[in-house]
Amino acid sequence: MNDAVATALVGVFGISGSLLMLFSALAMFRVRDALSRINVFSPATGLGMPLIVAAVYVYDIHTEGFSWGSLLMAVAAVLCLIIVSSVASNTLSRASVLSGQPVYRKTAPNRLARPPAGVVDEDPDSPDQPRAGA
Amino acid sequence: MTIVVSICIVILAAAVIVGLVRVLTAKDLGSRAIVSDLMYFSAIGMLTMFGILVSSSIVLDAIFLASMVGILATMALSRILTRGLR
Repeated sequence: MNDAVATALVGVFGISGSLLMLFSALAMFRVRDALSRINVFSPATGLGMPLIVAAVYVYDIHTEGFSWGSLLMAVAAVLCLIIVSSVASNTLSRASVLSGQPVYRKTAPNRLARPPAGVVDEDPDSPDQPRAGA
Repeated sequence: MTIVVSICIVILAAAVIVGLVRVLTAKDLGSRAIVSDLMYFSAIGMLTMFGILVSSSIVLDAIFLASMVGILATMALSRILTRGLR
């Protein structure tokens, strides 16, 4: 691989990956709650970081030649990034819902905002709660 | 090679700065956790680009290990959010 091709590939992969990270950081300002931020965080780890790994792998081929070890390492890094981002997003969104982080008021449908029917046990003898049949 | 890698470093540094501003202006803890996670990955990208800039031979190892252990910070932050409960 000659120098110009390597530079062009590193530039295309690296700059597009970096731009995805930057756009994801800018999107953190546009959405209003933690769950949507976790949602717009996915392009950064799902596509931006694998593109940066691709840039690094092209650079590695250019400087040290092809080897199966570095190919395995690059493929494992991409797979780890995708698995890590999905599992981490699941865990963090579950934690943010369980810890009661506010959800944007215009979110629709938002079935998590109120408990499902039959879950809340209301006291029928309570004076300030009118009876269902009364 | 130096120019494109420098452009990448500048873009990633801008992402880190935007994330820092967002962490400072965020109201809820979940947003701070996810933005700090984004800053972690941006810093990893900057580290690998610096490795290309100085012609280091371990950039692939660095990004491989960092992508493998990146889940630990997120797990720790989510456990902190739920105060240690699962």
